[in-house]
Amino acid sequence: MTSQKHIAILGAGPGGYVAAIRAAQLGASVTVIESHALGGVCLNWGCIPSKALLSVVELGDKVKKAEDRGLLVPGPVTYDLARMVARKNKVVATLVQGIATLFKAWNIEYVQGTGSLRDRQTVKVTRADGAPRDVQADAIVIATGSSWPNLPQFPIDGQQLLTSQQLLDLDRIPASLLIVGAGVEGCEFAALYSGMGTEVTIVELMARVLPLEDEEISLMMERELKKRGVTVMTGTTVERLERSPTTITAHLKDGAQVTAEKLLVSVGRGLNSSGIGLEHVGVQTGRRGEILVNERMETTVPGIYAIGDVVGKAMLAHVASAQGKVAVENIMGHQATVRYDVIPAGIFTLPEIGRVGVTEQQAREGVQAAGQDPDIALKVGRFRYAGLGKGQATGDTTGLFKVIAESASGRILGVHIVGAHAADLVHEAAMAMQVGATVTQMAEMIHAHPTLAEGLMEAAEDVEGKAIHQARKRTQ
Amino acid sequence: MIPKDLRYHQEHEWVRVSGTQATVGISHFAQDALGDIVFIDMPKPGAIVKAGQQIGEVESTKTTSTIYTPVSGTIAKVNADLKDHPEVVNSDPYGKGWMVMIDLSNPSDVDKLMTAAQYEAFLAGQKH
Repeated sequence: MTSQKHIAILGAGPGGYVAAIRAAQLGASVTVIESHALGGVCLNWGCIPSKALLSVVELGDKVKKAEDRGLLVPGPVTYDLARMVARKNKVVATLVQGIATLFKAWNIEYVQGTGSLRDRQTVKVTRADGAPRDVQADAIVIATGSSWPNLPQFPIDGQQLLTSQQLLDLDRIPASLLIVGAGVEGCEFAALYSGMGTEVTIVELMARVLPLEDEEISLMMERELKKRGVTVMTGTTVERLERSPTTITAHLKDGAQVTAEKLLVSVGRGLNSSGIGLEHVGVQTGRRGEILVNERMETTVPGIYAIGDVVGKAMLAHVASAQGKVAVENIMGHQATVRYDVIPAGIFTLPEIGRVGVTEQQAREGVQAAGQDPDIALKVGRFRYAGLGKGQATGDTTGLFKVIAESASGRILGVHIVGAHAADLVHEAAMAMQVGATVTQMAEMIHAHPTLAEGLMEAAEDVEGKAIHQARKRTQ
Repeated sequence: MIPKDLRYHQEHEWVRVSGTQATVGISHFAQDALGDIVFIDMPKPGAIVKAGQQIGEVESTKTTSTIYTPVSGTIAKVNADLKDHPEVVNSDPYGKGWMVMIDLSNPSDVDKLMTAAQYEAFLAGQKH
């Protein structure tokens, strides 16, 4: 009988803690070292807290429209940010406690402290009280994640220049907010604070907001932001900041000036690969500082694995979790790899975005590279939320389903949804892609009425111009 | 619902000329086809526009539609009231529902637009 394998995991974010539990399920003895909090950035300062706050604004948006629908609410909608933050903290605490409970149930040892590699089988831990400790392991998983960048042109002070983490803990709604960077985080915070009455300006270097999303979806989101009263400035950037005790003025490259009470720096993230002893064991990193791994999530040093943001692939919590499971499966003698072609993702703007697979632009470039005419090789189906009975009934009439398919095979290449519950709805498409279902199969599956999910069926039908609740396409 | 004193564009915008300035909106037919209007995205004052160019969008609970400018010039003013009350375009498309005022760079653009009678005939033709 072989002795039990011991795995040390550096970091307890959505990569590390999931890897720990899976490893324990597979029979390993596990020690997790975490310097901040169980759940990492996602749970404590990212995905979960922002959704907790956004859910309140979503509710407020609905209440603002209540009277039109016959619900009388005396007085205007007002927000108590301090209470919102307190509730958010409670939600986070419950989930953090949940991880601690799972760790206990699986006999996972949790060491609070800062860890770094001493050698291939030892993690040196400095605990909060300064007491050092070495953790011996047969295999090590590095899951140290990423952190807020500290760019010289945007010196974060926690008062005027803030990170998203700090913006989750304000006790007072600022009168105005300038957001630098209209990526996922920037747009989510624009939705959040504009909803509470803050005058929001968002500045993006690229030509459109959410520059990595499908162009049609980006343009819809830009309109949704404008609808919320957000001033959107694209194709420009901040050249210089001017500070006064109460305001901050950004001078933009295009000559414009924006003055605001607070500024959110929402550009890029730094990978946490330095100061963890990689050099002591020879783990190699790439140009951006990302830890290089193979498809089994193993680094250049056998027995040392890395997962999550620090490997610099798709920087998403759920990808980190998937990578974590794959890493420990491999450590425990199984064969596993991560499939990166089907990664659903949500953007929790108001309304939401859900996406899986490639954008239309990427699909077109793909077929062009293969020497095909994209207008022939690809077909795109669309369906608007306004065409859905459920959408009309609930007032969720803003939104779009978009399905991109390969003409010849019917293979689904990408699905993009903007509208209510988009991030949940996109999973049907992700499943279809995962199992290799065609767009026709998706269209032929009976969808319950009345649901928003019917929109995906109609968009799939529209790929062949056969959506029922949509006027006939003009012949081209 | 086709005021006689206005000129009309094939994309269902109307134009009212006063001196060298034109006021632009969308027709009763257009607002009726769109249904309940929830948002209007308009150009910024100072923008230079060319006849036939897209200058904004109208979103209704049914669809989203492009606004084209029937005339060339510089955007002098946009109707700020529509930001909070886009539904005014439904209730008063030719009055309070006006969208932009344009300083005409080529006043003869207006002559190319349809008269009320022509627009009426145009709409009748569209129904088939």
